[in-house]
Amino acid sequence: MDIHFDKAEARFDGRVTLHPLTVRLTERRIGVIGLNGSGKTTFARMINGLVSPANGKVVVNGFDTKADTDRARSQVGFIFQNPQNQIILPILKEDIALGLTPRKLSKAEIEARTTAILARFGIGHLADRRSHELSGGELQLAAFASVLVTEPDILIMDEPTNQLDLKNRNLVARTISELPENVIVLTHDLDLIAGFDRVLLFDNGRLAGDGTASETIARYRELVA
Amino acid sequence: MKTLYVDGSGFMHRLSARVKLALLAAASLALFLIQSPSVLGVGAIATGLLYASLRIGWRQSWLRLRVLFVTIAAVALFTLVFNSPVEAVSVFFRLSALALLASAVTATTTTGDFITEVTFAATPLEKLGLVKAADIGLSIGLVLRFIPEILLRHQAIRDAHIARGLRPKALSIIVPLIILTLKNADEIASAIDARAIRAQK
Repeated sequence: MDIHFDKAEARFDGRVTLHPLTVRLTERRIGVIGLNGSGKTTFARMINGLVSPANGKVVVNGFDTKADTDRARSQVGFIFQNPQNQIILPILKEDIALGLTPRKLSKAEIEARTTAILARFGIGHLADRRSHELSGGELQLAAFASVLVTEPDILIMDEPTNQLDLKNRNLVARTISELPENVIVLTHDLDLIAGFDRVLLFDNGRLAGDGTASETIARYRELVA
Repeated sequence: MKTLYVDGSGFMHRLSARVKLALLAAASLALFLIQSPSVLGVGAIATGLLYASLRIGWRQSWLRLRVLFVTIAAVALFTLVFNSPVEAVSVFFRLSALALLASAVTATTTTGDFITEVTFAATPLEKLGLVKAADIGLSIGLVLRFIPEILLRHQAIRDAHIARGLRPKALSIIVPLIILTLKNADEIASAIDARAIRAQK
């Protein structure tokens, strides 16, 4: 993974939501923390090209997110806060297959990949279920599957344990820790990122901390004290 | 997210989505060419029996069809006032048959199959450079996705009114319903972009 923010700035309605940021991310597991409205989500959306920089640029694995959005986006899977909005079609296997449609694969290939990704997350038995019938943890795993079926290099998760009960939270946390992909996790759940390689802290649209998990979490605690 | 699709293994479920949609298109055309109220009445009864064969249940059927039938009744009433009783009966039977047949197809065809078939049907237009077939298929799929969601959201807003001791009024329901639906649509659009579903490879 190689993500490069080069003086990248984001604005919304004329207001700066992320001040010019220069940072290079190459570690496999990166956590992003900060208060609500601190710029975490804007930062993450810029990696996926959902938010274009007003100034500067963001380059993901060599692809500029503004000039080469589709190719940059193909490198990055994004899991939203509310997995209900991640799942576009009601029946799980159809939703997973939908992500493969632009690849013009054969029906058999799509079916094989869908079956494989559901099996990888241990939710093969839920293939024909509707998303509203799934528990919070199952829904989050389904969201993982829907994104990872396209084999992105980087997976961004926006508060993946938000609104989950303890059992489902632990299930999702264990799944994240076992993912072989490069992951960037935005979270308020500090235990979730305690073992990560690097943690970034945002405050008022600026990078306020960048280091090991223990250093940055300590800095965050000071900031909110 | 709920769905209009109902699980089953009957005749309608086994029929391919392409055949069902072709038959629906042909039946729609025929229903508008037929003028005889008695023939249209037979058509309405036949489609009613077809719909009943899906065993969706009275309550579910009522929830699914009530808005359609209120609209059909209003159109028939309008025709009765401004045209003739015979035309009003024809309109009622024609639209009822159409609504029941379309509902039967929707209840037995998954959204994924709809998207596949609509995309296939729009491919000639894409070859002429007029549209992107996959976008048309996805649009139809999203419409089907949103129908039950909007109905559920309507119910939730109604319940919120009642829980706060307020009498639900059309305007006080429609405004939050539109705002919430647009917000949700925006989130879904972001998910479509993030998953690169519309990307050209």
